Amino acid sequence: MSEAGSLVDELRALEREARDAITGTSDPAALEQVRVAFLGRREGRVSRILRQLGGLGPEARPAVGAEANRVKQVLRGALEERERRFARERADTDTPARDLTLPGRDRWRGARHPVTLVVDEICDIFARLGFTRARGPEAETEWYNFVALNTPLDHPAADEQDTLYLKGGGLLRSHTSPVQIRILEQYRPPVRILAPGPAYRRDTWDATHAPAFFQIEGLAVDEGITFVDFKATLSEFARRFWGPGTRVRFRPGYFPFTEPSAEVDVKRRVVGADGSVEETAWLEVMGAGMVDPAVLDNVGIDPERYSGWAFGMGPARIAMLKYGISDIRTLYENDIRFLSQFA
Amino acid sequence: MNVSRRWLRAVAPGLDLSAGEIAARLAMRGAPVEGITDLAAEIAGVVIGRVERVRRHPDADRLSVCEVDGGNGTVQVVCGAPNVRAGACYPFVPVGAVLPGDLRIKRVRIRGQESRGMLCSARELGLGTDHRGILELAGQFDPGSPFAPTVGLDDHRLDVEVSPNRGDLLSHVGVARELVGEGGIRLADLPGAVEHELTVRTGSPAVDGASARVRIDDPRQCWRYMAAVVRGVRVGPSPEWLASRLRAAGAHPINNVVDATNYVLLELGQPLHAFDLARVAGPEIVVRGARGGETVRTLDGERRELDEGMLLICDPERALAIAGVMGGSESEIGEGTTDVLLECALFNPKGVRAVRRALGMSTDASHRFERGVDPAGLERAIRRTVSIIVATAGGEPAPTLLDACPRPWRAPVVTLRPERVGQLLGVGFDTGDIVKLLEPLGYRCRLAAGAIEVTVPGHRSYDTLREVDLVEEIARVHGYDRFPDSLGAFRPGTVPDDPLLRLHDRLRTILVGRGFLEAHTTAFAPAEEGEVEVLNPVSAEESHLRRTVLFGLLHAVEHNFARGAADIRLFDMGAVFGAGGSGGLPRETNRLAIAMTGRRRPHHWSAADRPWDEWELRGLAEELVAAVLPGECSAEPGTFDSTFFEEGYELLLRAADGSVVGGAGKVRADRVDAPVWAGPVWGLELELGDGVRRRPDPAFRPLPAFPAVERDLALLIPDSLPARQVLEFLERGGGADLAGVSVFDLFRGGDVPDGSRSVGFRLRFQSGRRTLTDKAVDRAVRRLIQRLKEEFGVEPRAGAADSGR
Repeated sequence: MSEAGSLVDELRALEREARDAITGTSDPAALEQVRVAFLGRREGRVSRILRQLGGLGPEARPAVGAEANRVKQVLRGALEERERRFARERADTDTPARDLTLPGRDRWRGARHPVTLVVDEICDIFARLGFTRARGPEAETEWYNFVALNTPLDHPAADEQDTLYLKGGGLLRSHTSPVQIRILEQYRPPVRILAPGPAYRRDTWDATHAPAFFQIEGLAVDEGITFVDFKATLSEFARRFWGPGTRVRFRPGYFPFTEPSAEVDVKRRVVGADGSVEETAWLEVMGAGMVDPAVLDNVGIDPERYSGWAFGMGPARIAMLKYGISDIRTLYENDIRFLSQFA
Repeated sequence: MNVSRRWLRAVAPGLDLSAGEIAARLAMRGAPVEGITDLAAEIAGVVIGRVERVRRHPDADRLSVCEVDGGNGTVQVVCGAPNVRAGACYPFVPVGAVLPGDLRIKRVRIRGQESRGMLCSARELGLGTDHRGILELAGQFDPGSPFAPTVGLDDHRLDVEVSPNRGDLLSHVGVARELVGEGGIRLADLPGAVEHELTVRTGSPAVDGASARVRIDDPRQCWRYMAAVVRGVRVGPSPEWLASRLRAAGAHPINNVVDATNYVLLELGQPLHAFDLARVAGPEIVVRGARGGETVRTLDGERRELDEGMLLICDPERALAIAGVMGGSESEIGEGTTDVLLECALFNPKGVRAVRRALGMSTDASHRFERGVDPAGLERAIRRTVSIIVATAGGEPAPTLLDACPRPWRAPVVTLRPERVGQLLGVGFDTGDIVKLLEPLGYRCRLAAGAIEVTVPGHRSYDTLREVDLVEEIARVHGYDRFPDSLGAFRPGTVPDDPLLRLHDRLRTILVGRGFLEAHTTAFAPAEEGEVEVLNPVSAEESHLRRTVLFGLLHAVEHNFARGAADIRLFDMGAVFGAGGSGGLPRETNRLAIAMTGRRRPHHWSAADRPWDEWELRGLAEELVAAVLPGECSAEPGTFDSTFFEEGYELLLRAADGSVVGGAGKVRADRVDAPVWAGPVWGLELELGDGVRRRPDPAFRPLPAFPAVERDLALLIPDSLPARQVLEFLERGGGADLAGVSVFDLFRGGDVPDGSRSVGFRLRFQSGRRTLTDKAVDRAVRRLIQRLKEEFGVEPRAGAADSGR
């Protein structure tokens, strides 16, 4: 009985193996090889087992025989099906000799959008500096977009961002800074976040403007955060993103929600083909500053105890600098010849 | 703000820097220079030309034939300007010289008359927009001498970018103060200008004197109004020193009276206005809010309709000007003006801003009032203006300066704690350092117990009202670049990494791995694709917020079709908007969309191409839904968004709780503008939620210790019976040992009757407790066949490769 049992097991293993071999064939010749290997009259592995039937006891014989016949039948069916498939796919692969210099079977290659590549790279660097990612709505109220950020609506600073308003109330956020307020309302310090996402302004499309654009907001709030921490963290980021030799410059700037405010410029080192090192011009890469105490006050955080810094960066512009793209509209046309270049 | 380098040096005599050096220094003080124009470079070939004689062109009414002395003898020049006259000097471009825009002057014949050179307008020289005639120079100059230095144009114009909080930088003195400090500023003597003995008479809300009167009816909007009267002026062109200084700063000379006010505006930042006194009834100035329906014709010739309450400068009878924004044409200084009333006022910045926004205009004056004009600088400004007018237009100033001042200004005092400076900046500054940094900018410091009482100068009294503002001043003047940047320790934050952004990462990984390209579409849509309307849209195509992401992707597909691409696979993730969210905002949800068309794989010589089809779409849809939501998800025929998908090719995607999360299907032909050679477009749109609901961690199941047994079952299923029902029936009814059912074949034709198809199911039996015997498995299969017959009337296909026995 055990002998019969092991033969049945062997048959089932063969069946599985043969099925895999059949589905693995790519042309009729290979299929024929598989047929001969398993069902060939003399050397076929199933036929060999059938030949051992004679050595079995009479009680064991029918069970093994039936199983062998079933397996034969199943495999014949599978072979036929595979043959039909080859007939359907008029494959012209009848070359007698294998020429491995012919191209292999390619696959479509997908790609992340170049702006995503930059956002991900920035978020990765900041993740190593202890930052997590956060998010807020794109349709916002004046409170979150302006007032809570220390920008009164009757102040000229509100003009700098020509805002798109919505019928029925609200506006499209003109920067990602409202996420600062949303997060500080919900979480207590220490807060270290990055908020990537779209922002909107009433700009018409041209080579350097888009009514919708990506921004990354950064925010750190804790006890004892100083202007030195601010400079240090952003300089560290810049050197990791643009390379070790990068110089970083902080200039005074103005944003209603930071005080002191700064514009951050970088100057990259570029190594030429001949090994010579050149520096680029100063490139403006972000607006930043120490969080204005009025902003902390607005979310109920004591500005005498806590301080912080924040920045806003345009990854589209950074992607354009990084990849040598001169027209921002290229980023939104979604031409596959463009997108595939980032695979 | 356009700044002339020569002018800067005039008010800051110690400033010995090139234009480039000035720009570099201003940048580090927070006022970057956008551009530097060398005013002389482009007009280096232009000389002074004196017109000796003018006669009418014999064959053209509008042209004159002039004899011009350009230094090299007299040449004949044909000129089209109406204002050309003999004896006057003009900028002259001789033959061979070049004008801005690379225009080389050649010898030409105009209507038969030879012309050897060109007399220029301000616009042709890039000096302004004035093109009404050629630029007549006031006074006599040597013919042939270079034009630029003669008229003071050997200068650089710096375009300084001034942030909205720094109204004090909107003047040459303000910029110079930033460069050399308060102590280095000196207001230069101007040719012929002398200080007049004028006494200030202050009153509130009205004041009399100089045979005129000023009354402020709205002290909330008008904080102070000073007026001076100059009688007996002769209005005419300004002398060249004044005109050229205005031109260098990008302003256009108008006449000697108006130019004097503009000069002081550009030098000190105080807007002034000159009225023709004869046109002011009374003469009395009344500063009041507009009455309903009132109008005024402004200097630009427009009749402006005013809203009630808008602040006006009036006489007792009518409105003369819009306060802080623009003067009126009826009291404008003109050729016949002999007596002038000068206004030098201080208006509420918010009021000026509201009025000029309501009127949709902005002027040099309103720009400065909005950003805050130095409340301590009015008297100096009006005195200087009077001096210049008398020097350039003659006349006699009335000895009294009227000063209506309902709101006398007091300098703000801010308490600064030196330890707070160190606490915020991370670098300690002692009291002496702080005083040294602040005082050059006009702050006055007084040491008090443990703190510094800082008196803020007028020009910074709008934006430096808090301790932290002074901390910024200290950092700014000390120099941001002098702070160290060594990274210290930090505490990790309390905010978890956003779950939706993590979901985005996972979906991108899946789709990029499947050969999809990530598109970036915007949230804008035309009216028919969105519910939420933008009040002030950029274009009709962008007048609403999108309801779907797929809509934008289909646009991208069309873009690529139009460029000959047949194989397109795109995806994007983003917010969509509907009416009726909370807090007066639209409802905003996050979605993923994909669109694909063409071949499944790039062509290979070994096999025929296969296009995308519904099975590929369905497989991908199920994979994506599973990545987004926990539990078993399903796809079934149904309508998610009937505007996108073709009937019969639509799938409804459901979460485990039965809720609809999206749809997929073959995009209707009328939704995509496709070329004839294009294949069908397949699309999908899926709600992502907030990414918080994730599938739980997998619970490990021990690997099977006993072998599995498979049985194939081909069933004849009528077309009216969905295969899914049979599949689910098999799954449910196969007993505890049925580990899985899959479909391995679909066949029509042959012995299969019409109206039915043969579906091959592969049943996989496996037990965790024992090796299954064939007998047991066969019994289970027979039972299934029997119940299928009872439930659906479905029979196995005779003679098929089943092993149901």
